[in-house]
Amino acid sequence: MDILVGSLFAGLLIGMVLALVALGLTIIWGVMDIVNFAHGEFLMIGMYTGLLTAQGLGIDPLFTLPVAAVVGFLLGIICYFGFVKFLLRGPMVAQLLGTFGLMLFLRNLALLIFGSEDRALHHGILVGKSFDIGMGVIVPATKLACAGLSVAAFVAVWLMMHRTKMGKALTATSLNVQGARYMGIPTEKMNALAWGIGGATVTIAGALIVNFWSVNPFIGLLFTMIAFAIVALGGFGSVPGAFFAGLVVGMITELPGFWDFFTYTFEADWMVDIPMTSFKYMWVYVAYFVIMVLRPRGLFGWKQ
Amino acid sequence: MEAIRNALDFSDFPRLDLIVAGSVGIAFIIFPFFPHSSFAMSTMIQFLMFSLYGMGWNTIGGYGGQVDLGKAQYVGIGAYTTAVMLILWDVPFWVSMPIGMFFSVVWSFIIGYPLFRLKGHYFAIATIATSLVLKDIFEVWDFVGAARGLEISPIKYHPPDFLRLIFREDVYYFYVILGFFFIGVLYMNWFRKSRLGFQLRSIKDNEDVARSLGINVHWAKVKTYAIATAFVSMVGSFHACYIKSIEPEDTMSLDISILIALMAMLGGAGSLWGPIIGAGILIPLKSYLKEWLGAQAGMVGIDLILYALIIMVISAFEPRGVWGIVEKIRRRKRN
Repeated sequence: MDILVGSLFAGLLIGMVLALVALGLTIIWGVMDIVNFAHGEFLMIGMYTGLLTAQGLGIDPLFTLPVAAVVGFLLGIICYFGFVKFLLRGPMVAQLLGTFGLMLFLRNLALLIFGSEDRALHHGILVGKSFDIGMGVIVPATKLACAGLSVAAFVAVWLMMHRTKMGKALTATSLNVQGARYMGIPTEKMNALAWGIGGATVTIAGALIVNFWSVNPFIGLLFTMIAFAIVALGGFGSVPGAFFAGLVVGMITELPGFWDFFTYTFEADWMVDIPMTSFKYMWVYVAYFVIMVLRPRGLFGWKQ
Repeated sequence: MEAIRNALDFSDFPRLDLIVAGSVGIAFIIFPFFPHSSFAMSTMIQFLMFSLYGMGWNTIGGYGGQVDLGKAQYVGIGAYTTAVMLILWDVPFWVSMPIGMFFSVVWSFIIGYPLFRLKGHYFAIATIATSLVLKDIFEVWDFVGAARGLEISPIKYHPPDFLRLIFREDVYYFYVILGFFFIGVLYMNWFRKSRLGFQLRSIKDNEDVARSLGINVHWAKVKTYAIATAFVSMVGSFHACYIKSIEPEDTMSLDISILIALMAMLGGAGSLWGPIIGAGILIPLKSYLKEWLGAQAGMVGIDLILYALIIMVISAFEPRGVWGIVEKIRRRKRN
């Protein structure tokens, strides 16, 4: 029983962080209808920013978030004005391959600068501490804090999208670009803003993830695919959808834990032989495929 | 007969194209007789392989306009079928290649049928997802060597072995793949004038209009996807015999899929010569960058940075490719 509750809890916590990873992608996708393959690389940059700031300034990793947010915002804006703007004129294949080129560029730049070895954080007020929440379930304090901060960031973005004039202009742009332009909304600036917010949220997520996950330059693609799955499940361009889908995908990544639980409960020997941990992320891709085929709009989506 | 005559009929191209294409073809045939380094030879073989991959991609991605970024899974199926059959049961290449193509085509129908309900970005990402799923399965499947992959040891055979395609010199491989290359060009020449080719172009232009004209859009896409798959799987089988050691990471990675699509786009998707031009530019560039910069100490990844910059510049400023530029110049001259 404790395995089940533990997996459930771990899935929920990681799901909240993954939802924040996908938030930027869903905003960019919704506003501009462009796929950003470099999303995971933004996350990787956020992870390095968090790590290096914490180590360089000697402050707690959880206080590096503002630095990461600024870096991410600037990165998004620079990418938009320096590169993505020109992609928008071309056909779809050029957009896909262009952002893939951006991904390759950032990944190898990180490889050139930081080298290929894994790096991890070893200090901080929360590292190594954990809570016992009963029923034998132990939750690491870093994960709990990261999940909490993710939710806070999520709520902040949601409020910005729904309560401020700027957020309403963003939503209008994603609903209908031409209409928004006729209403006097500077859609070009809104596109740049979407990239800025997208970059900032994902680098914040990176600075959170680095608290419990080691970083190397190749980590991006995994998170890109996870973010795609979350966005597909939640619906393209839907912010609350991304949150719930993040929780679901978090559960999917914890499938090995559930698998162990059922193996012990039913004493099923055949289940032991299947190397479930090796398939950990495969289920995310399978889920993406199945969701897309059965319900292309996603759970909360309005954009076909 | 009619099909063969159609495949050999290049008369709708301008004479200049035919002269250039013919002289390049002859240059390929006589290339091994001139002094060359083994690096040039392997680059040449890579180029021919990738232009065949690109031709396969061009059917669905170029003529049909469906951006498929999951071609690497079929490279993997073809390569693994040939390697497994050769190692375990000593099946010759010429038997295992069609079997690999059969497996690939069956798999392409299984995933293609639901896949083509999607369009645009959603389709592209779903193809990536299927490819990654297959790669993950191959990485833990002990029968095919899991993440270590398989190795064909050439000691057991007596090269040159034309049945199993085990050679010591690259020159034999070169002529085998060159033969495939010419057959591929002829097939593509037939394909673009076939009924399916015209159907695809109308689907690319406007899917609703195509449907209203009585074209079964879904079935046409699935069929073309299977054709593209067969091409890629064929070259994948060749890859297994040529490289002799295959593992999921380098036969089925996303980079291969992207490279295939990128070449076709760089050359000009939806034209007969496009993928060949694209492969001719990109493959030598990639290998020379790797040879020149990849080994320098303290500069890990610099070759891929340059490569990525080239991708970014092309897709931002010249997304219609080299062939697009040629056609633009021609149109201007005509007017």
